[in-house]
Amino acid sequence: MRFELDAVFVEHGCESSALATRVLGALPRELPVTIVADAREATRPVASAPDPFGAGKRRLVIAPRKTPFLMPCPAGSSKFACCGYLVLTLASNCPMDCSYCFLQEYLADNPAFQVYANFADSFDELDRLVANARGRSFRVGTGELADSLAFDSLTAVSRDLIDFFATRENLTLELKTKTDEIENLLEVDPRGRVLVSWTLSPEAVHRSSEHLTASPAQRIAAARAVLDAGYRVAFHFDPLIAYPEAERDYLLLIDELLDVVPPKHISFVSMGGLRMTPRLRGAARARFPGDPMLCGEDVLAADGRFRAFTPLRLSLYRALADRFRKAGAEIPAYLCMEPASVHQHVFGAQPMRPATIGERLARS
Amino acid sequence: MNADQIDAAIRGLAAERRLPPSHLARWLALDPASRAAMLDLAGALRLRTGQLVHALETLEEIAVREHLTVAAILDRPEIRRVATATGSAPSRASEFLDALRSLRYPLLKKMQDELRAEVSALKLPRGISIDLPKELGSDELSVSLRMRSAAELAHLLEALDQRRPAIARIIEMLGGKK
Repeated sequence: MRFELDAVFVEHGCESSALATRVLGALPRELPVTIVADAREATRPVASAPDPFGAGKRRLVIAPRKTPFLMPCPAGSSKFACCGYLVLTLASNCPMDCSYCFLQEYLADNPAFQVYANFADSFDELDRLVANARGRSFRVGTGELADSLAFDSLTAVSRDLIDFFATRENLTLELKTKTDEIENLLEVDPRGRVLVSWTLSPEAVHRSSEHLTASPAQRIAAARAVLDAGYRVAFHFDPLIAYPEAERDYLLLIDELLDVVPPKHISFVSMGGLRMTPRLRGAARARFPGDPMLCGEDVLAADGRFRAFTPLRLSLYRALADRFRKAGAEIPAYLCMEPASVHQHVFGAQPMRPATIGERLARS
Repeated sequence: MNADQIDAAIRGLAAERRLPPSHLARWLALDPASRAAMLDLAGALRLRTGQLVHALETLEEIAVREHLTVAAILDRPEIRRVATATGSAPSRASEFLDALRSLRYPLLKKMQDELRAEVSALKLPRGISIDLPKELGSDELSVSLRMRSAAELAHLLEALDQRRPAIARIIEMLGGKK
């Protein structure tokens, strides 16, 4: 286990679940494990700690999920051109600690790292989705409210997921991560139905902001390893942070990526400029007051989020898109949480409808 | 003044200006040289409460961005020039905040200057105005026409049409084209 935990809470009734058995069997014996009647209290911030959110993240809670597992991506909005991504929530929060992470706002009231003992129920939801939309293809990811692989050495949920998706023709699983925890992936056959994606940032951003994550070089090496094992790979340049040397560093990073993963093997890339609501910005700066990446040339945009001022942000998008274009392969690309006009500026074309782009990315 | 006297003076000024406690705490958390430099400047420019708050926040952000102390920032020539200039305290306070903003947002300031120069070079007739998006927070350019007759409308539309390539260039600049 690469990440440290302070305590484990298991909701009564889940102790003998397959997930709890796996996790408890893999944890160090000295780690305190408490069985609780209702795990909700254990998910709250640790008020007595200097950093209640950070302390909350170091608690692992195993409980049943009582709401649907499958939902549209929470970033979706009629203001933005969306990618049709569906989110499968099998865990909540992340043991890594990126200074810019939106979960600091989204999960401010329940920061504990939760894994859902009844995760296999999500497979019924997925089958219903496919049954109700015959002929359509969907890209479904587990990396929105958690990192898909951060605790996979404990939970091994990736194996169950891959076994399920490998037999579903119209579903593509996206495992999104900033780790290099790919050991479980290398032991199962994805049969072309699983895509592993990495968020990539230059070394300067990794050093300054992406605490406890794998280095960019480690992420790229892991991508190459899963590619060789039969997985599709994709990369998210999100958040794209417009610090003074950003363009040079991101282009160098792309060169490093393409040296290891040839463009023809990249299923897609996405880009999304750093965006923060005022509340998130306040929370992030309070937790990471010395991080210069949180003090960019950000202005309040029309959607109520702080973003790098528009020409600066768009010039970065253009530079990266141009570098991928020049790499010689037509890699599908999309922008996250940007309006159609920005797509037009960057790619010279209007974005496709969410359902269409969703299908295209699922099959890419 | 020694450090204790400086801190007492800061607390006195904060009380006088009703500075929010959180900002007083941030001021007192600065290194001694920065605390003192900020006190000197706040006194010299007679910064009001909102200006003090804004200055403290902006200075902190510049310090994080540039790995400098607040004292070092306040010692930069463009800031010292404002602090020691002649003129009324309110106008110097306003200039000081502008100078801080230029340090905090150097590329935004440069881009705004370039875009304003492009708009100015259009030499638009009376009745047409072009507004850049606030803080360049979007890619949307606003063009307003004011007229009182069909003939005036025709004249303005023709003037706009003549400037179409230059306006298109401004839109492209807003869209990140270098």
